[in-house]
Amino acid sequence: MEEEFIENRAASVPFAGILTDLLTANLTQRPEKRVVYDNMHGTVAIELVDIETAVTMVFAAGKLRIEEGIVGRPEIVIRTDSERVMDLNALRIVGGLPWYFDEAGRRVLNHLVSGRLKIEGLFTHPVLLTQLTKIMSVM
Amino acid sequence: MVKYNAMTQEWLDAWKQKIANSKEYREIAKNWEGSVSMIVNPDPEKGIPEPIYLFTDYWHGDVRDFLICDKAKAESANFVMSADFARWKQVAKKEVDSTKALMQGKLKLKGDLTYVVRNIKTVNKVIDLLCEIETIWPDEA
Repeated sequence: MEEEFIENRAASVPFAGILTDLLTANLTQRPEKRVVYDNMHGTVAIELVDIETAVTMVFAAGKLRIEEGIVGRPEIVIRTDSERVMDLNALRIVGGLPWYFDEAGRRVLNHLVSGRLKIEGLFTHPVLLTQLTKIMSVM
Repeated sequence: MVKYNAMTQEWLDAWKQKIANSKEYREIAKNWEGSVSMIVNPDPEKGIPEPIYLFTDYWHGDVRDFLICDKAKAESANFVMSADFARWKQVAKKEVDSTKALMQGKLKLKGDLTYVVRNIKTVNKVIDLLCEIETIWPDEA
């Protein structure tokens, strides 16, 4: 895989490094996720509220730039705690869609219902959110 | 209850025994294969004058070598975690969540993160069992 397909401009933010490592491994090991990634366009921010850390991921057809903080006007903003963000990576993809009917899925739904996980753009940008879930899922 | 000096072979043996005795661990970890080393960065003020290297090895619900080792052995593990002594102590006392420490960069991990996330229950169970060991910490002794 080419070296520059993820540009981490937030190298001083440990969470950005984790995202970079996780996505690099996932996209390298799973060609079907790379196909999804190559078709992604849009901006997603993730804010870890408890540790006051945020990064913005700008997807542009097979390229990803990670910026420190919330930059611009992301279509999707995910806000949760550092201890829960990995739960999003545990979602299974079934029939091309995130699966919310197993333990991992129910945990994410519980976070949403309880307000421990907030997703701006959940209903307005479902395609981008589904694509993001697919490439982030390690299952 | 017996207490063990932190980060010694006796402490590792007690941890290994805890894991080996856990039916829950055996079930959760049935898919895990691979070694994990922990590097404790030196902190002379806390009684850690030199780095400490710990090597632990897990295989489909079984536990294999749990050793105090040298740097080369530690770095040969499938997963290498490193942190300051104070951070390891907080993790072992459940004062900080290991995922949170990872996100903050206070705990560093080398290895396939996707594998760790897929098996996060195993990781959490191993840490839970570590937390059950009565430990004498060098900065408290």
